[in-house]
Amino acid sequence: MKRFLSALILAALACLPASAQWLSINNVTAKLENSEMGGAFLKIEYDLGVKDLSPAEPAYVFARYRESATAGWKLIPQQALRGDHDIVESTGKKKMLWWGLGSLGLTNAPQLEVRVRGIRVVRVPGGEFKMKFVPGGGYDESRTQVETATLPTFWMAKYETTIGMYADYLNETGKDGRGWDKHMANAERCGIKRGEGDVYTIAPGREKFPINYVSWYDATAFLDWCGLRLPTEAEWEKTLRGGLYLDGDEAKKVPNPKPERKYPWGDEAPDAGGVWRCNADGDADGFAGLAPVGSFDKFNSPYGACDIVGNVAELTLDWYATSFHAGLDGYRMVRGGSFMDPPAGCDAVTGATQLPVKRSSISGFRALRDTRTK
Amino acid sequence: MKPSDSISRRQFVTTSASVLGTFAIVSQHKAHAVGANEKVVIGLMGCGGRGTYVATMFANRPDVDFAYICDVDTRRFSRVRDAIEEAQGKPPKAVQDFRKMLEDKRVDAIINATPDHWHALGSIMACQAGKDVYVEKPMTHSAWEGRKMIEAAAKYKRVIQVGMQSRSCQYLRDACDYIRSGKLGDVYLIRVFNMMQHPMRKTPAAESAPVPAGFDYETWCGPAPVVPYDPSRRWLDRWEFSCGAIAGDAVHQIDLARCLIGDKPYPDTVSHAGGVCALTDGREIPDTQMITFEYGKLTMLFESALWTPYMTKTPMDRRDKGQLPPNWAFNATRIEVLGTKGFMYYGRHGDGWQVFNEKAESVIAAPGRQADKEHQDNFIACIKNRQKPTANAEQGHYSALLCHLGNISYRVGNKKLAFDGATETFKDAPEANKFLKRTYRAPWVIPDNV
Repeated sequence: MKRFLSALILAALACLPASAQWLSINNVTAKLENSEMGGAFLKIEYDLGVKDLSPAEPAYVFARYRESATAGWKLIPQQALRGDHDIVESTGKKKMLWWGLGSLGLTNAPQLEVRVRGIRVVRVPGGEFKMKFVPGGGYDESRTQVETATLPTFWMAKYETTIGMYADYLNETGKDGRGWDKHMANAERCGIKRGEGDVYTIAPGREKFPINYVSWYDATAFLDWCGLRLPTEAEWEKTLRGGLYLDGDEAKKVPNPKPERKYPWGDEAPDAGGVWRCNADGDADGFAGLAPVGSFDKFNSPYGACDIVGNVAELTLDWYATSFHAGLDGYRMVRGGSFMDPPAGCDAVTGATQLPVKRSSISGFRALRDTRTK
Repeated sequence: MKPSDSISRRQFVTTSASVLGTFAIVSQHKAHAVGANEKVVIGLMGCGGRGTYVATMFANRPDVDFAYICDVDTRRFSRVRDAIEEAQGKPPKAVQDFRKMLEDKRVDAIINATPDHWHALGSIMACQAGKDVYVEKPMTHSAWEGRKMIEAAAKYKRVIQVGMQSRSCQYLRDACDYIRSGKLGDVYLIRVFNMMQHPMRKTPAAESAPVPAGFDYETWCGPAPVVPYDPSRRWLDRWEFSCGAIAGDAVHQIDLARCLIGDKPYPDTVSHAGGVCALTDGREIPDTQMITFEYGKLTMLFESALWTPYMTKTPMDRRDKGQLPPNWAFNATRIEVLGTKGFMYYGRHGDGWQVFNEKAESVIAAPGRQADKEHQDNFIACIKNRQKPTANAEQGHYSALLCHLGNISYRVGNKKLAFDGATETFKDAPEANKFLKRTYRAPWVIPDNV
């Protein structure tokens, strides 16, 4: 037992700088301990240095580990954790316990390292909402059309996934350039360079811009890495428009004043009155190309999601299919319009189709958490 | 091979010569003459999926300057604009009204990738503006429009290339040579397949929807009536806007079959069987089309349906791999040429061709390769040398015509109709003749005198 305890002390610690939309998480410590009945567990403590977390805008916290400096990083399954992990609604000193290390053979791993990351999410309470048609080329007639739909509670990333976050992911996982595209090196559009030994560097000032030139597969790989997934079109649309009750169908105390709104902020056009509400085509909105995420935070969705229209068009989980034959199947839906779309295209209903292998400067993504594990 | 009723070698040589471009055209529009080493300035009309794909291919060419993208729906700009900018390092100009593009004297040619009901009108307007045209298939929405396209190309001395790129395949020429050599014997029957599987369209939750901001729906309707806006793609199943999902794809097969039998322009008769059988979702245009075309003693049987999961197109990852289809019988885009000495399978998508003798032994098996690039090479070359392109307006007309004739036979009650090529009308069938030309909604009218 004494020998075991010494190994616990050697459990390595890691923390990541708060930057580029990872939440500020500091002073991460990890300590292997033993319980009387349940075997070994890892106690992970960290400081969540964010001022204004709340149940409506909490953090999604996840942890990754590696057994040694030569081993690959892995996600600690959320269901194996207890305490302040997954959806965390308040700031301050936090603690989570990782159970089940014995089954992974990690009870004697003196080089164990842990990294804890978090992103800001907004809570979208369960309940009914207005689902509208998707005019234009992106409407999939193989699916049933609905006027209203009911979704359970989920948490949507407040911001589009950033270049800073994605570069961090590449530096942890990138092998042979996987997940990276040569176009990302263009600092005017993206800004991630690939160097010797798969070291990825970010062009100065580009950390907070949304990642682009990612395929649907790249996006889902990143989100798997976080323990998250892409939103469906319905989830994306509800985040933009809000449910019939903004506090959800359980409470039903806050009716949505505009449940069929055209844009996150209401029905005014994105450029109405000479005030730009999102990053659409042209530079009149203040940005000739992409904008740092959160640049239009006065015009968020009812739940506080930023840039859900404009900037990068956002990949979704949904398929688009007009034919089951080769060549016409496999497309995915992209929503919200982009910095190359006219203002009218940055709305609640416009959709575009995209081949899942396609990497484009106008497409990015945001994350969604749909279940909580505590 | 018998001279008159099946394919004659002489006839083949004659028509092949025209295909290969023996008629030089000299442009009267000097302002648009493109030098051999100059870049061809191109614009796109119609920023949908196909337009984006074709435009991106052209934009990646070193001999092209892609200057414009046009769409009545401004929400469609971003995808193609991004692709073009990535290809050539500078963005094209995006305009909602394609006439602004036609007014620009720098523009040499346009790609017309609009819906069917805009193919002819947009192309003819481009010809009148002195632009050459790459128009997606089917070239026309009605039989009459095909003749007007031919007249416009001739009058304004314009190059019209139809997006029937399978016609540019080397293995098509090889298969034609084989048939013409007589090794297949006399050909009396050609069977043309185009099988697909489309989903049933769901019933919309509302009859119509508000027209989205940024979408000039009136111009989208163009020569067709302005019907209540439906955000779905149901227009593809309506005669006012479309020739149908079958014709939209199967015109490739019909064009290949025409080429294999010597580019005969007109059948003597047409007879349609089938209708809306499986996809009973309110569509006007059949999901099942069995069409018989008689050319004297040579018969073309066309079979197509939208509900067949067991015949599939060659998957993308198998195309151009130098492989024949593993099972011809289940290949959705095959053609069967039946001669008195042999039987030929011919497949689209680079599937190649294979011949069997009377003992069912394979005597030749020739994989192929698709020719999208060669087709575009041919268009660019013709812009510069003013020759007729491979899939010129005549071939585009004659191939689309077969689709129209089949559809008209269906629309008059699956009647067998006799066709007079000299007048391009049906014989003694006024009820059928009224479908040869659409009613145009002003101002989007193709004049008799283009």
